[in-house]
Amino acid sequence: MTDLLTIDYLRDYLLVGAALFALGMLGFLSRRNLIVMFLSAEMMLQGTALSLIALSRYHGNWTGQIFTIIILTVAACEAAIALALIMILYDRRASLDITLWRELREEAAPDLVPIEVEAAEAEPVEPIEGPETYPQLTPAGVEPEHPIQPWTERRR
Amino acid sequence: MAGFFVQWIWVVPLLPLLGGIVAALGATRFRFNAAIPVAIGIAAAFLFSLGAWASSGPENTIVVSKWLAAGSFQVPIELRVDGLSTLMLSMVTFVSTLVVIFASGYMAGDPSYPRFFAFIGLFVFSMTGLVLSNNFLLTYAFWEGVGVCSYLLIGFWYAKNSAADAAMKAFLVNRLGDIGFAIAIFWLWTIVPNHDLSYTNVLAEGTLANLPDSARVGIPLLLFWAATAKSAQLPLYVWLPDAMEGPTPVSALIHAATMVTAGVYLIARSTALIALAPGVQLLICVVGCATALLAAAIAVTQNDLKRVMAYSTVSQLGYMFMALGAGVGGVAQLAVVAAIFHLFTHAFFKALLFLASGSVMHSMGDVIDMRRFGGLRHRLPYTCWTFAVGGLALAGIFPMAGFFSKDEILLALAAAPEAAHAMDLTWGWVYGLIYWVALLTAFMTAFYTGRAFFMTFWGPEKLPSPDDPEAPEVDAHAAHGDDASHGHHHIGEESAPIMTWPLMILAGCAVVVGFLFGSTGWLEHHLQGMYGFEGLGHAPHAFGWGTPILGMVAGLAGIGLAYLLYGEPSPAPARLAATFRPLYVASLNKFYVDEIYQWTVMKVLWVSAAVLRFLDISFVERTIVGIATAPRAIGRNALAVYQNGLIQFYAAATAASVAILLLILLFS
Repeated sequence: MTDLLTIDYLRDYLLVGAALFALGMLGFLSRRNLIVMFLSAEMMLQGTALSLIALSRYHGNWTGQIFTIIILTVAACEAAIALALIMILYDRRASLDITLWRELREEAAPDLVPIEVEAAEAEPVEPIEGPETYPQLTPAGVEPEHPIQPWTERRR
Repeated sequence: MAGFFVQWIWVVPLLPLLGGIVAALGATRFRFNAAIPVAIGIAAAFLFSLGAWASSGPENTIVVSKWLAAGSFQVPIELRVDGLSTLMLSMVTFVSTLVVIFASGYMAGDPSYPRFFAFIGLFVFSMTGLVLSNNFLLTYAFWEGVGVCSYLLIGFWYAKNSAADAAMKAFLVNRLGDIGFAIAIFWLWTIVPNHDLSYTNVLAEGTLANLPDSARVGIPLLLFWAATAKSAQLPLYVWLPDAMEGPTPVSALIHAATMVTAGVYLIARSTALIALAPGVQLLICVVGCATALLAAAIAVTQNDLKRVMAYSTVSQLGYMFMALGAGVGGVAQLAVVAAIFHLFTHAFFKALLFLASGSVMHSMGDVIDMRRFGGLRHRLPYTCWTFAVGGLALAGIFPMAGFFSKDEILLALAAAPEAAHAMDLTWGWVYGLIYWVALLTAFMTAFYTGRAFFMTFWGPEKLPSPDDPEAPEVDAHAAHGDDASHGHHHIGEESAPIMTWPLMILAGCAVVVGFLFGSTGWLEHHLQGMYGFEGLGHAPHAFGWGTPILGMVAGLAGIGLAYLLYGEPSPAPARLAATFRPLYVASLNKFYVDEIYQWTVMKVLWVSAAVLRFLDISFVERTIVGIATAPRAIGRNALAVYQNGLIQFYAAATAASVAILLLILLFS
């Protein structure tokens, strides 16, 4: 029989879990890159999972651990689906920018992130001859000027 | 084996229903064989009913399943196999079987052939359920069921405006009566012990003895109100003559033999309850008498063969109510037996007369106006002679069925004054008056029956032609909903054997059921097995020759007069009509009852409907629409701003909301 987690250790675990969750949430809210947003969401999930495991150990039952394993399974499935979706989205606009996808916007809503109409309404691009290009992560930090308009990237 | 038929009695309603369902589901496959499953189902139900006939008893009930249960209030599907229900059951299924066989020939070629038989199956299900039910509420459910079937079948040729209107009229007038039934049930529910609405409980002597005085009069009145609509009595009889817009087999089955007797059945079933209120009994008797006389007076001048029969049905139903109303004091048993006996015999000969009329109509190319044909006795021999048998039975000529049952009714009426006197009632003399009116009605019945027979089958032969002055100006298309329906039948030929055989069987019944069931006392003996029958008042009745002889004389005089006037073409009827012109015109126009209703009841309804419509549109609808526009305005003007399509904005809003919620939870 192992010792139960003391309350001090539990606090540390919970702090780390909360930090993971908060960082993930900040990342999800602030980054416009689809893949980074996805990774941030995964991080939130891990923060929750960590809290669950710590609490389960503290209370001495297995429910939290079982729940975490289920979360991992679900997260794996979700990752497969999400990445596939991102690939399809990338195919249509040749960009990972989330703000290009705002078809559900109401006319009356103010345009918080001004983008060219041309970009948002660009037709899906045709497959291009030659080696396929793949999405790249945009650099971290303040968003740089795009050297080339993202939706024309694959037409090079 | 006695228990077997009682235990399995529920298959009697079920078999016709199954037949109907098979006919409906296999509509495209069976086409013109759709009558077969229905006929088999009903015939099997008839055989089963015969078995149940032998094993009936006043206390035989079975619970088939649960139906309604709310706390202590339980309404099971409980069936009662007593003398009355088995009698009705055998009669309904027997007549239905023959009518279905007849209809399989009559309806041949109709594009909606399977639909017709599906409805018939549904009807027989409802009707057998109605007579088997052991509970006022279940009876009410089936009561509505037969009403729906009646509506569906009157409006069978719904493309024809008159048929659709007649169906609507029948349904609405019946609803008017159903209100009475519903209120009676509510009232009974509040006063009977355990809120148990089964006949066993309601008609038990202990329950009846403890009824409050208001209910003793009120409930019989309400039940009779219900019966006036279903059984076409004054003032609600107006739907029945119009119901002849339906196919003739429907008129024969539903609007002559079975459904319209449901009211008589209901009153007979609750005689123990009705007998508590002699005043209501007198009212029933007077209304029945007035209806019988009025309908007979209308029937003597109608030119439409089916309409004569329709008014005759109304008149004969009036006869049955006369009998039921005469059941004061010691006459109660005799009255119930007389009414049910007349119901029983009437089902046979009136179904026969209607089917024979249908056969005439079939061979005359859907012409039913008696002025447009005549002398058909050589062309339609089977139809002619079966019609004659039915007519004699209706006129009450010995030894036909109608003679015995009508005689029994007259006997009950004759005995009523004395019984009323014995109960210290002051109105006994009214029954004496009604007795003579009944005899007058019997004379008129014989007259119009003879008139219809002689106009149709006697005199020089005449076939309908479009040049007749009476020919309506509608084209054949509108007359039948679909002109292809009877196209393959040649005008003036006797109907096919599949139609004449049921006629002959019914004619045989119209001859024998009278002395077989009446004079041998079989029917009365069988009704001894009716629940609560023993408790009814009964006194020994001396048999007198007076009533049968008077009834017979009235019948023969009516037929004789009809022969004098209509046996050969003569100017006499026209001269008579000219002499009594106001009376003749009034009778021809059905005493303007429809018009009176149109100008009183309908006007009131229309005006109130217009007022309600105005209120609905200008007040209720505006309010509702105003309330409904509010969320839309709020959404468009205030909330659309936040619908900016940015996922991260939504996520931030969610996170902020959760945070606020947590804060509230923490600090509250």
